[in-house]
Amino acid sequence: MTRRTARELASAVRSRQRTATAVVEETLAAIAARNGAINAFTAVAKERALAAAAAVDATVGAGRDPGPLAGVPFAVKNLYDVAGLPTIAGSHIDRDRAPAAEDAALARRLTAAGAVLVGALNMDEYAFGFSTENTHHGPTRNPHDPARIAGGSSGGSAAAVAAGLVPLTLGSDTNGSIRVPAALCGVFGLRPTIGRLSRAGMRLFAASLDVGGPLARTAGDLALAYDAMQGPDPADPACASKPPEPTLPLLARGVEGLRIAVAAGYYASQGAPEAFAAVERVASALGASERVELPSPGAARGAAMIMTSVEGAELHFQDLIARAQDFDPKTRARFLAGALAPGVWYAHAQRVRRWYCREMAKTFANVDVVLAPATPYPGFPIGQAWIEIAGQRLPAAGHLGVFTQPLSFAGLPTVAAPVADCGPLPLGVQIIAAPWREDLVLRTAAAAEALGAVASPSPV
Amino acid sequence: MADPFDPAHYVPEAAAAVGLTIAPADLGDVTQAFAVLARVAAQLMAIPLPEETVAAAVFIPDDGAGR
Repeated sequence: MTRRTARELASAVRSRQRTATAVVEETLAAIAARNGAINAFTAVAKERALAAAAAVDATVGAGRDPGPLAGVPFAVKNLYDVAGLPTIAGSHIDRDRAPAAEDAALARRLTAAGAVLVGALNMDEYAFGFSTENTHHGPTRNPHDPARIAGGSSGGSAAAVAAGLVPLTLGSDTNGSIRVPAALCGVFGLRPTIGRLSRAGMRLFAASLDVGGPLARTAGDLALAYDAMQGPDPADPACASKPPEPTLPLLARGVEGLRIAVAAGYYASQGAPEAFAAVERVASALGASERVELPSPGAARGAAMIMTSVEGAELHFQDLIARAQDFDPKTRARFLAGALAPGVWYAHAQRVRRWYCREMAKTFANVDVVLAPATPYPGFPIGQAWIEIAGQRLPAAGHLGVFTQPLSFAGLPTVAAPVADCGPLPLGVQIIAAPWREDLVLRTAAAAEALGAVASPSPV
Repeated sequence: MADPFDPAHYVPEAAAAVGLTIAPADLGDVTQAFAVLARVAAQLMAIPLPEETVAAAVFIPDDGAGR
């Protein structure tokens, strides 16, 4: 059952073919048996999950609607509040925090739709990383090769789905933290438009850039979860006051009439040849031959780095003063450096962003969807510090965000989809559209999936 | 001509100015991390922007037109 999609499970529970309790018991058994090999979960909420499943079964038994995600087990990156657990955000410092009083908004919305929260997932400390090589909680391992990284910072969220422990998880994405691990673990991940989904109850990293979003094994499951989480939330001032715009009913429309282009230049260099070949296969399947130069990716990435470093450092400034040695050695120096950045850098980065978004809008006047690699290479061995690309020695983890970071800087909705037939190590394609057009990226992902160009591979 | 910027001088001074203590064992890594930011920032600051390009108070990617 563990490779069943969320839609299949919900359908089985809704039609009384299976009980939510049986589904959740099976999930808890799978986590107990197989999480040790990948270290995706940092907490399992067994009692609560069984109680929630029983409540779903009671609703079904009473003839009431249990919701579109009835009985679907899901788990959240451990920066999401989970009632009764301290929200550690991958840290050692926050392990003694008071337990959260209630779940984060997105977890509450999934639960209201019938889904059952089963636990919390590993991540880079305070989301500052692309590899989930967490010193405090151990590295999350890639289910396709446990000697390799799962990607990050939502590494537990991607690995748990790839390994079939749960069909659905939530991650967060500041500079690529949903898209990078989704690509390296061979699953689908959605970074929604910034401002689309509520961040209430999430420990933020860099508020100007952070969004939450789902990871799953099909485009349809992404849409199902995303639709359940939409809607304004006054508890998050950055959450737009837009009514929900359901995407699931639009998925089967295909790509007929959509102008799809492949990002050229920057997005076709600085990576391994197989990363670009993977994008070309998806483009070919979708009939996309046009090339497009996206504006100023290097400037966008640099500005995102400055904003991330400064906002992250400010958020943790008191701990940096009082107990810097309790930070993960993998993040400590970067947090400290961010605290020393001159204010003019930050203010200029914010202004560059406004200019950059307007430049990006010109691109989307001429195309509907853009394809680009998700990462420059597949997952590398845990512990590897450097990588050589085209004769250049680069930080192996830091360079993973080279293609994701400029796009999230513009706040664009993006699906990272696993490219089919990549061999033993997965690679992903980014499917990108204009702000608020999650419908287009999900539709294109579903079309590519129907054509066999993208698919979530089962670990051998 | 001004001396080229040296993060090794700046980092301890700036840390003291904001009340941060950097352990000697971390100083090399922090200096290196700051040098990366400084290199990136130099390119960023070279981008000329008109005064009327202002940062979004609450960031909305399409300037709120779609709200």
